[in-house]
Amino acid sequence: MTLRRCSRSVDGTIPIQALLYNDEELLSSQEGVGIYDGAQKSPNHQSGTIHVTTHRLFYLSAHRASSYSLAVDLSCISQTDYYAGLFKSSAKVTLHISVAVTSPGDSGPNDGPDTPFESWECGVCAYRNPPGLSPAAARICGLCGIPRDSFPAAASPHQLSTSLPTSTSLPSLLPPSAPSSSSGTLRRQPNAIACPACTFLNHPSLRECEICTTELPQAASLGMKSAPSSRPASPDPSDDEEAAAARLIKISFRKGGDKAFYAVLRRSLKSKAWAIGASTTAPGDTSGAGSGITGILRTVESSAQERASGMNDAFQDLEALMVKAKDMVRLAADLNERLTASSASSAAEPEAATFIRSSLSQLGLQMADAPVTQDMASDEQRWMAQLARELASVLKGLMRERGVIALDEVWGGWNRARGVALLPPSTLLQVVPHLPQYTDPTIVTRTFPSGLRVLHTPPYAPAAFAARLAQLLAEQPKTITEIASKEKVAVGLAAELVGELEGEGGVCRDDEACMIRGGGAEVRFWGNVFKGYVWDGQEKERDEVVY
Amino acid sequence: MSFSTFTTPTGFLLPSVHSAPPFFTQQPYPGTNATVTEQWITLILAYARHRKLFVLRVEDAEITDNDWQEVVRNERINRKLLPSYLSSIIATMVSKNLATYDPPGQTRSALLYWRLPEEWAEVLHGWAISTGQLNTILTFYEIADPPIPSPLSNIPINLLRKAIAVLAKTGRSQLIAVADGEGVRLFQGK
Repeated sequence: MTLRRCSRSVDGTIPIQALLYNDEELLSSQEGVGIYDGAQKSPNHQSGTIHVTTHRLFYLSAHRASSYSLAVDLSCISQTDYYAGLFKSSAKVTLHISVAVTSPGDSGPNDGPDTPFESWECGVCAYRNPPGLSPAAARICGLCGIPRDSFPAAASPHQLSTSLPTSTSLPSLLPPSAPSSSSGTLRRQPNAIACPACTFLNHPSLRECEICTTELPQAASLGMKSAPSSRPASPDPSDDEEAAAARLIKISFRKGGDKAFYAVLRRSLKSKAWAIGASTTAPGDTSGAGSGITGILRTVESSAQERASGMNDAFQDLEALMVKAKDMVRLAADLNERLTASSASSAAEPEAATFIRSSLSQLGLQMADAPVTQDMASDEQRWMAQLARELASVLKGLMRERGVIALDEVWGGWNRARGVALLPPSTLLQVVPHLPQYTDPTIVTRTFPSGLRVLHTPPYAPAAFAARLAQLLAEQPKTITEIASKEKVAVGLAAELVGELEGEGGVCRDDEACMIRGGGAEVRFWGNVFKGYVWDGQEKERDEVVY
Repeated sequence: MSFSTFTTPTGFLLPSVHSAPPFFTQQPYPGTNATVTEQWITLILAYARHRKLFVLRVEDAEITDNDWQEVVRNERINRKLLPSYLSSIIATMVSKNLATYDPPGQTRSALLYWRLPEEWAEVLHGWAISTGQLNTILTFYEIADPPIPSPLSNIPINLLRKAIAVLAKTGRSQLIAVADGEGVRLFQGK
């Protein structure tokens, strides 16, 4: 009974961090614990993890975590005892629950599960207090420090969605047989009396229904008022019979950790964070500031300052990281070099070396040779030369199966290969003229009439390509797509190559639009059949004028 | 790839290039296009001379059943000349003075100069001498539609007028207004 009365069910499938209030802090956790309700073991709570926070004690069950997990407010614990355990009996911590807190009231654990998770507007400064604060903190405006109850709280509590953790508790607590209509009504407006005829919720002081003047059931409603249906009568008389022993909960530590946990629990109970929480942990430190405009301004100012200093710290960390990153890269290169050297001597690479290499590459730090950056080369010319050498090695991979490659692709591929210290396109353009000296077969640049610039190997030099294409087209006229697949270049590039040749009269085209029957949009390219053509048609007739 | 010449039902020997499909496509590059158009002009003038055709219209590439079918279409290779290309060929001919738009002020129809007006002038003069019609007044119809077929049969009046104008420059012709239109008197000249 005690356990059910003082605890609140939580959804144990949610990680503990997500169950905390904004101003709550997780202090310690211990797994392998069971709970005794009074003197008996509580059958559903025999294997789980206990967490102690500044405000609450959580028990998250190991099985059926969604329904058997619960939370106990530290505020309702009046006293604790520690039992070290003997032989087979494990160490236990006994929590004495004070009755005062369990009586119905706005801080009662079973009451108003929605309160911590709603945002509300302060009636004095109109500050919208965020949801998620602990009940104590939530009762005081975070900006001006005026208690919420000091003005009609009915203002407009904005309910959040009911899927928030603690609000799921009710269904499991409600006895399934409870008359749902009346209990639901009472929960929403505990004082109102539902008319038996028209169900209108009347003010408690009325004797007849405001709408239909039916006599209202006074006695019954008064009984309901003091004890919501979810709770077995009022605690007092029966509890007296049960004796004080019943008002305690025991936590049994089956896997040890009891001493440390008990110490933390004591400290947490002593600090009474739930009571002072409102003043110390509300956004901005209002403890020094008085209320009123000055207080508000100071609060806003201090929170802005806090944010600025936090930001500064973050930036400083980032800078430090950047400095460290350079060392990291150097270290990676060094490691790689050593690995290469050692693996060269022994045929098989040891497992550790493979692991280091793979983790380096996962970090993006694997380089056969580190990318050339400007500070490595002494002067502009040498830098260019080194870049050209690096680009040449990249191109060896990029152009393994292709003879032509557009500059944009080269740029993208190169930077991807470098990974760090990326280069702008302008640098690529500067490096490209140096390429022929470092490539074999030589790779040179070429600009098409359309303005597209490409790099190509000797087989794609204009003359060589023209000769090859002439041979290709002599077999059979071909479309651009067919030429592209034969030459293994992109269709766009093939169009550029053929287009340039066409401009020089190397090829001519046959448009299917000129067909008498059928006809499509395809264009077939022919070798230039008109080159060197001599008229072989009707002889130009002699002037056959007959006089 | 080789193409062969072909003799049409009207006895015209088509050049081998007429069997090459690319011949019917307007080539986008000026160099190639100039070569191909040159061949088209030669072909058109040769065919016009063969069939004694004086007029070429853009429509000839659009409709079937006309005098130019054997040239602007090639059923054997399934190709035809597109009107747009024919129009550009005619424009080239006009610019080379191998044709003239007739009537002037439009570009859909042209008079072909397979003989230049100067040449026609000589033909006209030679014909007048050989048929003994110097110094007599001849109507245009008597020249264009003579009882005995002549090289000048069916010559368009506009072309004839140009030839007469050429002769007039050397004092060998004189335009005379006659009752039912115009006439011309041809002289021996110097």
